[in-house]
Amino acid sequence: MCYPSHPEVYSGANISAISDKGIEMASTASQAGSQSLVDQFEAAAKAAAATVEVVDRSPRDLCDAILRAAGDQGCILFALPQDLPAELFGDFVGNPRVQSDPTPEEWVNSPVGVTEAFAGVARTGSVCINVGHQRSGMASLLAPLHIAVVAAETIMPQPRDLFRNEVLDGKGLSRSFVFITGPSATADMGPLVRGVHGPRWLHIIVLR
Amino acid sequence: MATTVNPADIQPRQVANKSDKKALLDAIRMTLGIQSAAIRHNTQTFNRNRYSAVARIADYEAMKDRARRTKEAAIANLPELLRQLETSVHANGGYFFLAQTAADANRYICDLLVKHQVKLVVKGKSITSEETRLNHTLEGARIEVAESDLAEFILQVADEQPSHIIAPALHYSRERITALFKRKFQTDLPLDTGEELTRFAREILRQKFIAADAGISGANLIAADSGSLMLVESEGNIRMTTLLPPLHIAIAGIEKVVPSRSDFQPFVELLPASATGQPLTSYVSILQPPLAAPSFAAPGKTAKPREFHMVLIDNGRSAMREDSVLHEALYCIRCSACLNVCANFETVGGHAFGGETYSGGIGGSWEAGTGKLMNARFSELCTGCSRCVPQCPVRIDIPWLNQNLRQRMNQADGSSFAKSLFGSLTGSAPEDRVAPVQKQFFANYHIFGKWGTRFASLANLSNRSGASRKVLENTFGVDRRRELSPFPTKTWEQVFREEVPLKQATIAESRIAILADTFTNYGTPERGMAVVAMLRAVGLDVVLTPSLPDGRAAMSQGMIATAREQARALAEMLRPFLDSGRKIVVVEPSVLAMLRFDNKHLLSDSDLFTALANNSFEPLQLLWQVAQEKDIDLSQVFPAARSHLGLRLFYHSHCQQRTCNAASQTIEVLRACGFDVVTSSVECCGMAGSFGYKHDYYEMGVAVGADLFDQVRAAENGSPRVLVASGVSCHDQLQAGLGCSVLHPSEVLVSTLQ
Repeated sequence: MCYPSHPEVYSGANISAISDKGIEMASTASQAGSQSLVDQFEAAAKAAAATVEVVDRSPRDLCDAILRAAGDQGCILFALPQDLPAELFGDFVGNPRVQSDPTPEEWVNSPVGVTEAFAGVARTGSVCINVGHQRSGMASLLAPLHIAVVAAETIMPQPRDLFRNEVLDGKGLSRSFVFITGPSATADMGPLVRGVHGPRWLHIIVLR
Repeated sequence: MATTVNPADIQPRQVANKSDKKALLDAIRMTLGIQSAAIRHNTQTFNRNRYSAVARIADYEAMKDRARRTKEAAIANLPELLRQLETSVHANGGYFFLAQTAADANRYICDLLVKHQVKLVVKGKSITSEETRLNHTLEGARIEVAESDLAEFILQVADEQPSHIIAPALHYSRERITALFKRKFQTDLPLDTGEELTRFAREILRQKFIAADAGISGANLIAADSGSLMLVESEGNIRMTTLLPPLHIAIAGIEKVVPSRSDFQPFVELLPASATGQPLTSYVSILQPPLAAPSFAAPGKTAKPREFHMVLIDNGRSAMREDSVLHEALYCIRCSACLNVCANFETVGGHAFGGETYSGGIGGSWEAGTGKLMNARFSELCTGCSRCVPQCPVRIDIPWLNQNLRQRMNQADGSSFAKSLFGSLTGSAPEDRVAPVQKQFFANYHIFGKWGTRFASLANLSNRSGASRKVLENTFGVDRRRELSPFPTKTWEQVFREEVPLKQATIAESRIAILADTFTNYGTPERGMAVVAMLRAVGLDVVLTPSLPDGRAAMSQGMIATAREQARALAEMLRPFLDSGRKIVVVEPSVLAMLRFDNKHLLSDSDLFTALANNSFEPLQLLWQVAQEKDIDLSQVFPAARSHLGLRLFYHSHCQQRTCNAASQTIEVLRACGFDVVTSSVECCGMAGSFGYKHDYYEMGVAVGADLFDQVRAAENGSPRVLVASGVSCHDQLQAGLGCSVLHPSEVLVSTLQ
């Protein structure tokens, strides 16, 4: 299970310091109660070493945000959305780099995968991806960069909320999904290393 | 006794099975020599992170209650849940197989892979498949098995058993992994950082994921209502294993089944927080296989339809379920909190404090339940310090399980004339007279204390003689390097009777009976009298009870019948004190813990247990409470400036005292009086009652203490502090390790009195 948790993360310099500070911020936020779920989510996701951008809900803004994060090289794997309206991705799918039905070679070699997330979790900064839907699982796993798009109103306070019937029409109770919290990581080789079998980077776009 | 085996010559596999005690001792030598630094670093990091992570879970205690209730109900209703689960898996289009034995499970999986002409199978981490030795079976059928969790990958390369239930290669430092890979892969690639090592393993394993015909995962939990799996990880290898290959096999013990997916609720937060101290690990998957999404087609191949098999194994679990003690272990969610919080585990890890598959405090019950009783021999390393008890997310009383295992192992060792004679002379309960003489000796400390004080000068003379220490070591296993505190010439009871209270009690409503616990009565009456003086200084009415053994020493040796007799007699002795409205003060924290917790297993009168548990106090805890209630200014009663000891203190609280929530008050009191107090943060001092005195564990006890000694030196930073400890064995450990005398907090306070 490869759990990253060496002191380099929690008490040392570089990433760790940011990480610890981020957790502090998130917890202070939840105690204060005044901060919105989106703000809490953003702080917690950053604490887990993800990057976050909040953008307006328009095809143009979303397309720009994805392309800004995706870098300028290579094919972009795209798993068609199930919950967000397809029109929202209208501008994005028009880009020639975007591939929603990749060849095996493209699956293996693409630098970036884009998926929607049907929910977020404020306390932990997690995004929830339906891995039973089309190729969302692979698009969120195989490439070094995963970009997840989540709607602000689907951000829930705590992980436990996903297992309640009245939350998001019970999607958490009926789907095969994964809570993704930051990039893949390990401490099995000694110090904490990000980017193991899964992505090295996780970028989250929150739609206001 | 001392074998001179070089730690480097011992291979972990050789000492994995510890049914022979020599294997246990060799394993301790190996881990202390080679693995200890990495284990300490990694487990202590997990431990610190867990404390901060669980503090951030809303309603942490309520969540634990809920998790416990869920597991209790699930195990109680297991046969029905398994039937439901089978129906659910079939309804999803999967296959279900319930294997009675490890061999049945391995045969099913092997046949299935052969039928599918599988050449290469990738595995996500599954400790259950370690239990069944699945890889061995598959490799025998010429199927290549690629362990994809990086820690399992290391173990596969090194051919070692796991040393930890969630981080199985945590005994490896980065430097040792580099050396291992260089040797095994004969590579010139630079492998000198975690990044380089990870990239190296990742490249190898990425090719395996792409080429694999099948994936085998474990499961952290399984929901009977839907056939859903919960899988917790951070590397992404379990996601790869369950997502890419067309054939997915999940293997798990039957105890992983809970009624419904909504029952995952408490565990999704408790498991990662209790395990690595992360709010959530990178990936927590909730899968209902077979997945609707298409499987992966490697370049040049076409995607195959998905197939899913759930293989649940019994392998002794049904018998554990019927066992009055071991059924508790079935509640375990394998988070490893009990490993990381354990001072002994932090020092030697699971290659010593573990068996062929399972490790740590909970590991003994699993090795015994799924294998043979004697495989649990390593559970001797559980000192009963109790630090794991409040950390367990499903509230398993792990020391109690280990004490029961010890009792069974005592019985399995068989009786002898010497054991039985010794037992009848010392007052062991008849059932416990099969226990080794060494254990009966430690269990009946009060007898030796009684005779030791009666003939103190003779006993002390003999304790200083090399010849008699040799006898003590050879017969009773008391290491001759441990200095034994001299017996006092008078017991606490005798001193108390001779002392006349100088001051009339002024606080009428709080009347106190101090238990003359056997450790203080026969070992350190001066500490007992300091507690008396301290409580009288604030005007409390204090009496001393008779001295009776409390059951702690017997229980720690697995002599549960003796412990039960002693605990009952003690409780009956204390009953009239309670009835007359007195609160019970207990100086020795391990005895306080008996009254607060352990007696729930020993006393049949649950009302008496509750009354004692609610009315027993650590001395400074009571003092702090009275001071708050009566608005007493402690800095006036015990002004620190008046003490000849100076203001600078280092305080180490006792492990069981902390579990009783009776430690922080001592710090409050000392600080309120004006002392400058630095405290330790170690879980246990390493002496842990009789553990550190034992010849077999002397080196280990000293090694465990190293952290505490380092903390003292760091706090002193060249300018000494008075060492203060609440427990008598902590006192001895500090004194031995640092060579200076150690005081009880009450002695510090009394030093301020005119």
